[in-house]
Amino acid sequence: MKTSAAPRLPERHESLWRLIVSPTVWAVHFMLSYITAAVWCAKYVPRSGTLEPVRWLIAGYTLVALGAIAWNGWDGYRRHRHGASELPHDADTPGDRHRFLGFATFLLALLSAVAVAFAALAVLYFHDCR
Amino acid sequence: MNDQPRDPEPLAAEPPLALQRAQEARLRAAWTLPKGWRYWSAVNNTEVGVWYTATAFLFFAFGGVLALLMRIQLAVPGNEFLSADTYNQVFTVHGSVMMFLFAIPVFESIAVIFLPQMLGARDLPFPRLSAFGYWCFLLGGIFLSGSLFFGAAPKGGWFMYPPLTSAYQPGIGADMWLLGFSFIEIAAIAAAVELIVGTLKCRPPGMRINLIPLYCWYVLVAAAMVLFAFPPLIAGSMLLEVERAFHWPFFDPKGGGDPVLWQHLFWLFGHPEVYIIFLPSIAIIAMVVPTFVRRPIVGYGWVVLAAVGTGFISFGLWVHHMFTTGLPGISLALFSAASEAVAIPTGVQIFCFIATIAAGKLVRSVPMLYACGGLAIFVLGGLTGVMVALASFDFQAHDTYFIVAHLHYVLVGGAVFPIIAGCYYFFPLLSGKKLSDRLGKIAFWLLFAGFNLTFLPMHFTGLRGMPRRVFTYPEGLGFDTLNLVSSIGAFLLGSGVAVVAWDLIRPKTRQPLSARNPWNAGTLEWLPSMPPENWGVRSIPEVDSRYPLWEQPNFVRDVDQGRFYLPDAEEGLRETLVTTAIDAKPVQCLRLPGPSFVPFWAAFTIGGFFILGTFHWWWPALASLVVGIGVVCYWLWTATAKRPEKPEKHVGLGLTLPLYQSGSASVGWWAVLITMLAVFTAFVSLVFAYFFYWTIHDDFPPRGAKGPGVLWPCVAGALLAAAWAATMLARRWNRADRAGAFYVAATASVGLALAGAAAMLAGPWLTGMDPTRHVYPAIVWLLAIWTALHAVTGVLFNGYCLARRLAGRMDARHDIEIHNAALFWHFVAATALVTVAVIAGFPLAK
Amino acid sequence: MVHFLSATSARSRPHRAGAASAVAVLLAGCSGPQSSLDPAGAGAREIADLFWWMAGGTVVVWVAVAWLTYSAVRGRVAEQTARQARYYIIGGGALFPTVVLTALLLHGFRILPPLLAPAPPGSLRIAVSGEQWWWRVQYQPDGEEPVELANEIRLPVGEPVEFILDAPDVIHSFWIPSLGGKMDMIPGRTTRLTLQATRTGTFRGVCAEYCGESHALMAFPVVVMAKAEFSAWLAAQRAPAQAPADPLAERGRAAFLQNGCAACHAVRGTEARGRIGPDLTHVGGRMTLGAGVLTNNRAALVRWLAHTDRVKPGVLMPHFGMLPAAELDAVAAYLESLR
Repeated sequence: MKTSAAPRLPERHESLWRLIVSPTVWAVHFMLSYITAAVWCAKYVPRSGTLEPVRWLIAGYTLVALGAIAWNGWDGYRRHRHGASELPHDADTPGDRHRFLGFATFLLALLSAVAVAFAALAVLYFHDCR
Repeated sequence: MNDQPRDPEPLAAEPPLALQRAQEARLRAAWTLPKGWRYWSAVNNTEVGVWYTATAFLFFAFGGVLALLMRIQLAVPGNEFLSADTYNQVFTVHGSVMMFLFAIPVFESIAVIFLPQMLGARDLPFPRLSAFGYWCFLLGGIFLSGSLFFGAAPKGGWFMYPPLTSAYQPGIGADMWLLGFSFIEIAAIAAAVELIVGTLKCRPPGMRINLIPLYCWYVLVAAAMVLFAFPPLIAGSMLLEVERAFHWPFFDPKGGGDPVLWQHLFWLFGHPEVYIIFLPSIAIIAMVVPTFVRRPIVGYGWVVLAAVGTGFISFGLWVHHMFTTGLPGISLALFSAASEAVAIPTGVQIFCFIATIAAGKLVRSVPMLYACGGLAIFVLGGLTGVMVALASFDFQAHDTYFIVAHLHYVLVGGAVFPIIAGCYYFFPLLSGKKLSDRLGKIAFWLLFAGFNLTFLPMHFTGLRGMPRRVFTYPEGLGFDTLNLVSSIGAFLLGSGVAVVAWDLIRPKTRQPLSARNPWNAGTLEWLPSMPPENWGVRSIPEVDSRYPLWEQPNFVRDVDQGRFYLPDAEEGLRETLVTTAIDAKPVQCLRLPGPSFVPFWAAFTIGGFFILGTFHWWWPALASLVVGIGVVCYWLWTATAKRPEKPEKHVGLGLTLPLYQSGSASVGWWAVLITMLAVFTAFVSLVFAYFFYWTIHDDFPPRGAKGPGVLWPCVAGALLAAAWAATMLARRWNRADRAGAFYVAATASVGLALAGAAAMLAGPWLTGMDPTRHVYPAIVWLLAIWTALHAVTGVLFNGYCLARRLAGRMDARHDIEIHNAALFWHFVAATALVTVAVIAGFPLAK
Repeated sequence: MVHFLSATSARSRPHRAGAASAVAVLLAGCSGPQSSLDPAGAGAREIADLFWWMAGGTVVVWVAVAWLTYSAVRGRVAEQTARQARYYIIGGGALFPTVVLTALLLHGFRILPPLLAPAPPGSLRIAVSGEQWWWRVQYQPDGEEPVELANEIRLPVGEPVEFILDAPDVIHSFWIPSLGGKMDMIPGRTTRLTLQATRTGTFRGVCAEYCGESHALMAFPVVVMAKAEFSAWLAAQRAPAQAPADPLAERGRAAFLQNGCAACHAVRGTEARGRIGPDLTHVGGRMTLGAGVLTNNRAALVRWLAHTDRVKPGVLMPHFGMLPAAELDAVAAYLESLR
C-alpha cells in the first residue's frame, strides 16, 4: 500500500492556519465587498447613483474567493482521504490528526463557499445606492 | 500503516505503596491552599474558578431581580411603580449586568475550573493572571451594580448610543459604564489569553488536536473571538469617554463627528459577543450528551466546523443591528446574507447532538433534561433569528418586544439552560456531592414554563407595536393582557431560579459523597476522587483517545498510582507539562506560582485608575495607575521567568524535559503575542474611525485644516523603527552573551523610543491642532497619543530587561524577558508605521 | 426520558379544534392602531405577509426538530450506527438549512429594493424631526410653501409619501407600524422613508429608539384621509391662527404672551414666533397633547400646563403650576380655540 511508504507526518508540516484559510477568505471577501459598496456610495455617487462598477468588482472578488476556497477545500479533502482510514479520525496517530484537520478544513471550505455565495447573490438584486 | 501509535505505555508495575504515599504527601503539600484569611491569596484554578462562578451567579441573581422590577412596572398600563428615570437605570443595568457581569465571566470562570481538568493539567499556565482577572471583575462589578443604589447608575441602555450618552446625560452614570466595563473587559481579555494558551499548550501528552474534548474547541474559539470582539468596544469606549471628559467631538456632528461610528464599534463587539456567550455554553451540552448516551459524539469534525465557522461568520453580522439607520440597500443585503449563513453551522451542531442521541441509548438525568429544554428554547430563538436577519422584516421587528423575545430565547436557551445543566452535571467535581434530582426537576419545569410564559407572548407584543425600553405604555393598544401574562411568567421563572439557587447553596453536610465519576463519563475531568484533591490529576496521563476513561484500559488505576508523568513534586513546587500545539508532544515542565496577594493588589490599584477616573479625578487616578504598574512590575520581577535550579528534570516514563524555555517555545511569549493581537485590534479600530470620517465627509481632512505635517511624524517613525532595531540587536547580543553590547543596544532603544514618542506628539502639538474644535485634529491626536503610549510601554519593557540583566536574573540562556520585549516591539513598530502612514501620508495622497 | 418532552409531543399533535380557535384568537389579537400585523400600508402589508409565511415555516421546522429529538430520545427509531446518524447531520444540519435559507434570502433580497425606493417625483414630502420628546412636522407639498406643524401626521390615502427624517439632539426612530417599517432619525444625518397608506383610518406612531427619560412618551396620532379631505385639511392648517372668539380665550392669549410661552412656541398670526417647542397655531385641532400622551381637551390642557413634568418626566418645558387656576384655564381655553 502506498501509505505504508508514505513519509511520516511531522508536526511542522501541520498547522491550525490551514484550517482557517477558507473562513478568512470569506471574511476578506465580505469586508472588501462591504467597504467597496460603502465607500462607492458614500464618496462617489449620490444616493440614487448606480452601483454598476461595484457589482462587477464584487463579482470579481467572488471568483477569486471561490477559487481560493476551492483550492483550500480540495487540499483538505485530499488530506481527509489520506491513507485508508475512515471517519471519525479519532486515533492517537499523526495520520488521523492529519486526516481530521483535512476533514475540518474541507467542511469549513464548504461553509465558507456557501457564505461567499450568499453575499455575492446580493449584487443580483441591487442596482443603485438606495 | 505508518501511523500506529508508539506512545510510551504507563509503568507496567505498580510503584511501591510507600512511594505512592510519599508522592501524594509531597503533591498535597505543594498544592495546599493557604489557611485563614490568607485563603483569599489562593490562585488554584479550582478556587479562583469557583469564586468567579459564584460571583457571576450573584450578579445573575441581581440582574434577575432587576428584570422582575421591570416586569412589575410593565404588568399593567400606566403603572407608577418605578419612575421613568429609575426604570431607565434598571433596564440599562439589567442588560449590562447580564452581558458583562454574568454571561462573559461565567463562560470564562467555568472554563477556568474545568479546562485544566479536561486537559489533564494541574492548573492553567498563568494562575495568578486568573486571580487578577477575578479581582478586577469583583471590584468593577460591585462598583457598577452599587451605583444603582445611589441613583447614579448608567441610564443610556446597555448599548450606550451617543449623543444621548455623550451630551444629554450629565452625571457619572455614563462614565461609570465606559470606564467600569472597559476595566472588566480587560479582565476578560486576560482570561481569554489564559484559556487560549491553556488549550493549545497545556494538553496531556498524546492528546493531539483531533482528540481534544469538544468543550475545549468551543472555549478556544470563544476566547479567540474575545480577542477581536472586545477591542473595538474598548476603543469606542475610549473615544466616548474622551468626548465626555474633554469634549473631543468624535460622535458630535457639530464637530464633524458621527453617532453612527459608535454603533459600528459597539456592534462589532456586540454581535460576536452573543456567540461568545453561546458557544462555550452549548459546549457544556457537547460534553453532557455523549456521557448520557454512553457513546462518543457523532460528527466530532462537524462540531469543530460549527464552532470555528460560527466564530468567523459572527463577525459579519454587526450591521444587522443597524438595519434601520438608513444604510444603502446593498449593505443591508450583505449583512442579511451573513446573518442567514451563520444559521447553517448552528443547525449542524444541533443535529450533531440529535444524531448522537439517535446513535446511543439515553440514560435519563437532570443535566439531559436541561440540555433538551435548552435546545427546544434555543431552536425557536434561532428560527426567529433567521426571520429578523431579513432586513425587510427587521424594519418592523427592530427595537420592539419581538427582539426582546428573540434575544432571550437565544440567550436563555443557548446559555442559561446549558449552564444550569452544567451545574447539575459538574457539581460533584466541586464539592464531592450531587445536587438534588428532585429539586432539579421541579426547578426545570418552573423555569421552562415560566420562561415560555414570559417570552412567547412578547413576540406578539412586539409585532403589535410595542417598542423596547419603554417604562410605560397606554391602555387599549392591545399590549395589556400580553404584558400581564409576561409578568406572571417572569415570577414563575424567578421561582425556578430560586429553587436552583437553593439547591446550590443548601447545606449538604449530611449528604453522602457522590461516587467517583458518578455519571460514568469518558473525559479526563472525571478523574478526581471524591472529594477532589487540590492537585488536579495524580499523574498526568498519556492520552490516546477522545474518551480515555471509556477507551483506555486501566486508565484510572494508572493515573491514581502515579504510573504516568509527574507523579511527584520532589522539589515541593507546583508543576505541569507544556506540550506542542498540534500533536501534544511534551516540551517543558512548567513551574507554576503559588498563592499570592499580588494579583489582588494589582487589580485594586489598576481598578483605582478606572474608578477614580469615573469621577474625573484624573491626578489621583493617574497616581493609582502608576502604583498599579509598580505592583505589576513587582509581580513580574518576583514570580515570573525564574531561573530553575537545574536545566532539566525527569518527569517520568523515561522522559526528561527542560524547566526553562524562552521565545516562541515559552507560554509567556504566546501570552504576549495574544494580548498584543487584542491591543492591535483596538488600534485598527481607531484607524477605522479615521477612515470612517473620511467616508462621511466630502472633504476630509478638511481643506485648509492644520495637519500634523510630514516632518515630525516621519521623524517619529524613523526613531521608533530605530528603537525597534536596537531592541532586536539587544536580543541577539544578549543571546551571544555580549553583555556590554546588550547594555548599549538596550539603553539606545530606550532613548530612541522616548525621543520617538516625543516626536510623535510634536507633530500635532507644534502645528497647534485643537482636538476640541473638530474631529480631524481629535482623531490625529488620539492616534499619536496611542502610538506614543506604546513607545513608552516599550521603554518599560526594555528598562525591565536592562534591570533583569543587571540583577543577574537574565542571561544568555535565560532570556524570556528580552524575547517578550522584542515581540512587543514588533507591534510598536507596526503601530508606528501605520500611524505615520495615516496621519502624515493620507493627507498627501488626497 | 419520557416526561420532560411530553410538552413537545403534545405540541406536535394539537387538537384540530383547539388549533383552529387558537388561530382565530391569534388573528383577532393582531389588530390594533399600532399593530404591524394589521397593515394599512403597502410596506406593512408586504412585511406582514412575509412574517406569516416565516412564522408558519418556523412552526414546521421547530416541530420537526422537536419530533426528531423526541424520537431519538425515546429510541423510536432503531438505534442508528454512527454512519447512519451522520446523515442526520448532513441532511438536517447542513443541506436542509442551506436550501431553505437560500430561498428565503433570495426572497428577502427581492422585496427589499421596493421598500427602500423613494416616492416618485412630485409626491408629498413631509420633513419630520424627532426632538426630546416630540415631533416637528413640516409638510412640503410639491411646488407649494411648506407648513410647519407638530405631533400629528395626516396623510392622503393611496399616495406614496416621502418622509425626510432628522434629529437635532439624540437618536430617535420614526415608526408607524400600521403603515410600514421604521427609520432612525440621527443627528447630523438625513434619512428617508417612503410610506403608502392603503386605507383610511386613525393609527398610532411611536419613537422606536431609546432617546432618554421620556422615550416611552413620544408618540403621535396618524390620520389617513381621502385625498380631497387631506388637501382641505392642509389648506386649513396653512392659515394663521384664529383670533380668540370669547373673552376667556382672549384673556388666555394675553396670559400666553405674558408668561413667556412665545419664547419657545409659535402661533402663526401672532407675535409668538418661538422655534424651540412645537408650533401651536392649530393645537386645538390636534387629537392629542404632549406628543401622543393625553387626549386633547380643556382639562388635559390644564393638566399639561400645570403638571408638565409629571405628565412627561424630564421634559424641557417648565410647568406653570404656579399660575392661578383661572389663568391656566384661560390659557387652556385659548389653546383649545386654536383649531
